[in-house]
Amino acid sequence: MSIQLQNVTFVYPGTRVGVFGLDLSIDDGELLAVIGASGSGKTTLLKLIAGFEVPQSGRIVLDGQDVTGLPVRDRQLGVVFQSYALFPHMTAWQNVAYPLKIRRVEAPERHRRAVDALARVGLKGMEERRPQTLSGGQQQRVALARALVFQPKALLLDEPLSALDAGLRGEMRDEIRRLQREFGISTVHITHDQEEALSMADRVAVMEAGRVIQLASPRELYDSPATRSVAGFVGEANLWEGVVDAPNAVSVPFGVLLTTAHGLGKGQAVTVLVRPENIMVGIADGIPNRFAGTIVRDRFLGAVRRYDLAVGGLVIRGQTGIRDPIETVSIRPEHIRLLPSAS
Amino acid sequence: MAVVTGIYLLYLFIPIVLLFVGSFGETWTNSLLPSGMTLDWYRELLDDGSFRRAFIVSLEVVFATCVACTLVAVPLAYALFKSASRGVMVAARIMFLLPIAAPPLVLAFGFILVFSSDALPWLGSIWLLIAGHVVLTLPYLLQTLVADMRHLRLDALELAAESLGASFRERFFDVVVPLLRHSLGSGLIMVAALSIGEFQLSNLIAGFLSRPYPVVLLQAFYGATGFACAATVVLLSLALLAAAGGAYASRSASAYRQGTA
Repeated sequence: MSIQLQNVTFVYPGTRVGVFGLDLSIDDGELLAVIGASGSGKTTLLKLIAGFEVPQSGRIVLDGQDVTGLPVRDRQLGVVFQSYALFPHMTAWQNVAYPLKIRRVEAPERHRRAVDALARVGLKGMEERRPQTLSGGQQQRVALARALVFQPKALLLDEPLSALDAGLRGEMRDEIRRLQREFGISTVHITHDQEEALSMADRVAVMEAGRVIQLASPRELYDSPATRSVAGFVGEANLWEGVVDAPNAVSVPFGVLLTTAHGLGKGQAVTVLVRPENIMVGIADGIPNRFAGTIVRDRFLGAVRRYDLAVGGLVIRGQTGIRDPIETVSIRPEHIRLLPSAS
Repeated sequence: MAVVTGIYLLYLFIPIVLLFVGSFGETWTNSLLPSGMTLDWYRELLDDGSFRRAFIVSLEVVFATCVACTLVAVPLAYALFKSASRGVMVAARIMFLLPIAAPPLVLAFGFILVFSSDALPWLGSIWLLIAGHVVLTLPYLLQTLVADMRHLRLDALELAAESLGASFRERFFDVVVPLLRHSLGSGLIMVAALSIGEFQLSNLIAGFLSRPYPVVLLQAFYGATGFACAATVVLLSLALLAAAGGAYASRSASAYRQGTA
């Protein structure tokens, strides 16, 4: 079922913090990740969809029905909270069965469905355990089972993996994606972890100061960020201020970069984006943008090595698998993106 | 430090020990310890109609105070916890400080003024005594409940229940009340302990037939020492029982909280 936000504005009373004129559409069965820094409005967005907050203007449409003023409990949405919010006085199966109890499902049937839901999230045999005796990952799975067991119209995930350690986070990413596909349920996943968003989502919305500044597929977001702040937030990036020199050249503080034809006017201020993995070590035939410098930082991370090369008072951040000393780097024109200048 | 602690404990326990010893002593006049041994004082206490009645009145008052406190404190604590209003917070703080700011004696004089009039002639009734005990003990129960609600992050659990489709009533009875059972238990035992030992207010507002045990106990000290000791030991045992229950309840509540944290 689809979710639509139409020109939604909400400001927390007595503040200037909130979301402003949000237009967003989540398709049937789609997983939309919403990322942004703290205070960007991503959690407010989730609260508005869930009904925990009511917008001051605009509409929220769920499967064609205007739910803007509908109470939380009538929206039929599964919500997984950052803290899981499992009821500590209930066992795992009782937690999962609770929404069924509310819906007056007969006791044997709700027990059967709760046990089944727990099995689907890999918790067979843990039905009688209390939440406090389960690990973080297991609690997360119980919370997921509870949010899915009553066949909600959509699933809302509020930073569900932030309390887990790195290894478990990766595992749970795959698990959530698997369940989301299996249930074919529209999902809004709020996260501050861009890697999580890129690896899980069909599309990613980047929020800043209460507005969506880019909505795109993970690949598009990474390769063609709309603004300097998106480029900086999503993945590692070299971002240099520059001025257009020619139809295929840009001046940056440490020299001139040859680019592909960009169609911008001479003298226009731009931000130049080059991803670290696109900085090539050494000089290769046919690659024009060559720079020599001194390594000022070198970090060995196993499979890759990250380095900072000081060139003309600036730093070029690179990433490579090569372990030899680095003195020169080159950049292919097609790896250079020009973004609107931040100034 | 250990010596100071030892001396303090001695100072604390010697009167209690002497009360026990005295309650079994046959005679105790102008000596450090009583002479002889007897159970007569306890037998006499059991046969004394006014003490028996006072004991029953005390139990009735404690029970009624606990019931009334539960009925008032749970919804009130919930309302205080949910309210973001500054005015409500200030009112709550005043209420929490009430037993310290207004001692039972002040409250009793207020009760005498208000409830001895022809319009409200309730001075001396057991109901007024219960109401007085509720006013004195309610803040302690409220504080315990509100602190537990904050600790349990009840608001997040309620939001979760609401998102799962629970109405206010369902959330209150399925989530709020069961989660508060431990703090309610330990809070009520504290209420009971305070109510059992309450003297100042009860002495001034209780009627002749509704005098609780501590008030009647005072009279025992005008008679035989052994009798007075036996009567005090009975009160002490009741209070100790409540305190032990409270300690056990708060220990199990804290173990439960550690599990949920």
